[in-house]
Amino acid sequence: MYRRSRSLAAVGAATALTAAALVGCSSSPDSSTDGDSLEVVYWNYGPAAEAGNQATADAFTAANPDVDVTLTPVAGENWGTYYANVATLIAGGKKPDLMLISGEGAQFVHSNDLVLPINDYLDEDPEAEALIDDIAPGLVDGFTVDGDIVTLTNAWNDMVVYYNTDAFAAAGVEPPSADWTWDDFKSTAEQLTADTDGDGTSDRYGFTWASNEIFPGIMPWVANAGGNLTSDDVCEATVDTTEVTEAVTFLKTLIDEGTAPAPMPMSDVFTRFQNGQIAMFGAGRWPIGTFVPAGFTAFDVQLYPSGETYKTVFGGSGYPILKSSANPDLAWEYQKFTVSDEIEQQYVGTPDAPGDSIPSRRSIAATISEVGVPPQNSDLYYASIDDHETLVPYPAPAKYSEFESTVLRFLQLIFAGETPVADGLADLQTELETIVTC
Amino acid sequence: MTTSTLRRTGDGGDLAVAPGPRPRPRRRGDGRAAAAFLAPSVITFSLFVLIPALGVILLSFFDWNLLSDGTFIGAENFLRLVGDARLWSVYGSTVFMAVAILLVNVVVGLLLAVLLEVRMPRWVRGVFRLSFLFPFVVSSSAVALIWRFLLNKDLGLVNYWLGLVGIDRIDWLGSSVFAPISVIIVSSWKTIGFSILIYIAGLQAIPNELKEAAIMDGANAWTRFFRITLPLLSPTVFFLIVINTINSFQLFAEPRVLTQGGPGDSSRTIVQYIYDQAFGNFDLGYASAIGITLMVVLIALTAIQFRLSRRWTFYG
Repeated sequence: MYRRSRSLAAVGAATALTAAALVGCSSSPDSSTDGDSLEVVYWNYGPAAEAGNQATADAFTAANPDVDVTLTPVAGENWGTYYANVATLIAGGKKPDLMLISGEGAQFVHSNDLVLPINDYLDEDPEAEALIDDIAPGLVDGFTVDGDIVTLTNAWNDMVVYYNTDAFAAAGVEPPSADWTWDDFKSTAEQLTADTDGDGTSDRYGFTWASNEIFPGIMPWVANAGGNLTSDDVCEATVDTTEVTEAVTFLKTLIDEGTAPAPMPMSDVFTRFQNGQIAMFGAGRWPIGTFVPAGFTAFDVQLYPSGETYKTVFGGSGYPILKSSANPDLAWEYQKFTVSDEIEQQYVGTPDAPGDSIPSRRSIAATISEVGVPPQNSDLYYASIDDHETLVPYPAPAKYSEFESTVLRFLQLIFAGETPVADGLADLQTELETIVTC
Repeated sequence: MTTSTLRRTGDGGDLAVAPGPRPRPRRRGDGRAAAAFLAPSVITFSLFVLIPALGVILLSFFDWNLLSDGTFIGAENFLRLVGDARLWSVYGSTVFMAVAILLVNVVVGLLLAVLLEVRMPRWVRGVFRLSFLFPFVVSSSAVALIWRFLLNKDLGLVNYWLGLVGIDRIDWLGSSVFAPISVIIVSSWKTIGFSILIYIAGLQAIPNELKEAAIMDGANAWTRFFRITLPLLSPTVFFLIVINTINSFQLFAEPRVLTQGGPGDSSRTIVQYIYDQAFGNFDLGYASAIGITLMVVLIALTAIQFRLSRRWTFYG
């Protein structure tokens, strides 16, 4: 009897602790954040993220000596796991003022009532008007949910094709032009695929894409086929449409015909591209932050080839103000500071140490080619959103992490040849119907 | 107060009572000393194992996404388990890979440990031991990253080497058949050093006199192995079976980095599935319910192993 009551007491104590944790996880107007201090959470994907965020915080502190900025780096293998880890942090009682998010996270933070929309600040702050005018409208739309502007975009990436100039030269193939089509692309990829050591099997492939991410993976192809993975209101999955089927079939054909190797994660693609085993792949501006410091500059970029249409696929990042902030006005000043000339210039970088994203402000982005940051075609980064139609909205439902992992799980089966394209997409559509909802 | 030690006798397995050493009489203050020595373990265990485990049980009755208020939903998460076809598929993959890794560790580990005990120059033995142990001390993610590079179907070194002997390219990471096999190979390669280490310790604890007596009696190597070495090693084998079973069912980093659990769910483990539910789908309650099923499975398996071990372990 004694033992039994002791056990029950132990369970009760644990229950109380966990219940307290559960209560503590709910949003509260109180905050431990001091009025003259700010806590900023960011995704620590590597030294570049650490250095960039530290430089921003240092510059803000230098401009505002009374303010103490605390940076909280959060690990994550992609944006999805970063959001999960931030959620764990918040559940554990942290109440940051700002957190770095990507466009994929806009719906997530909005639907969980985490962020303070900045519409009022934009209306009332005269400085903001000039900033917004210098930012491509698509980048504002990308962070607008139900009319609420979640954050100013400080940096962004569009999906472009990287090509290894040495591989093109070795194969005697002309660099691609901006008006190339899927047929041109396929022909180019075929010419680049080669058995360079004469052992009877290919050791250089024309193209590949990241198997662990949607945006640098299938999205540019889906967009240029005229489709999308969700409806315009991001409330319904649309992966079994003719357009998506066409895009996935095209990529599957590249594998079947031997011009693309079995898909691999992005980090592996980087290495294979640098050593010449892959001649082309798709990504944002971030690879140059790896390539150039490593001494690899034999590459350039081009727009994705047109299919039925051409649409630029892009994603931005920003530092939304969280509702847990004790000093949202100060947080707004920090957010605004992230798009100031000084900070935006960081994303331009130098020829030896380029930034790994595109500055959101057009006037700053224009300086990339002026200062000689590779690659040669750098101007097309910003031009792709100013001069071409964009994929808006891009498919980022509130349950983005679950959405992406589900899409990738089915694509694995399709690209491995374990299920036909149409059947795989039909099964994917069925599974997504409970994930993509409003 | 007297104590005695239960020992299994050689042939029949009957239990005989052997007298143990006479204990020191208990003194005043012993209890406090014992409590002081136990306190760090008890506190650490309570903080990092017991309370979180009880928290998981509690969470399994909630619908909670980390950010909103948790809602008590009774046994709903457990009812979901029954209709979750993916869960049972993932359990199937987990059992397949766990059993294979267990067998490799226990059987091949024993074979390699015995081979390491044959006469050879000390430096050669040292090189072999280091080679087997090295992967064990390297991070699982780093190991999996390197293997992912090696096992790539079209550009990996493994298929290149196989091609040199006329074997067609194998889709190690992209095929539902070979993806789990790749996880088994990589995970076994990573962990077998630990089993070998434990086996070597067990082998070195076997008295040489027994082997020498058997040689004098004319027993050949096989007989000596099966009649002396293996029985005396049985507690070590049992220990490794229990440890490897638990570890294999908790496999996470290797499949996550190598195959992301795919294609489909072919190489997904139950711990990955729990992680996906908790930190991908933000469904902490359901993830906790699955975690409880894993805990029940592991407790049951360990209990069965302990029960069965009485029939074949020999504590000499």
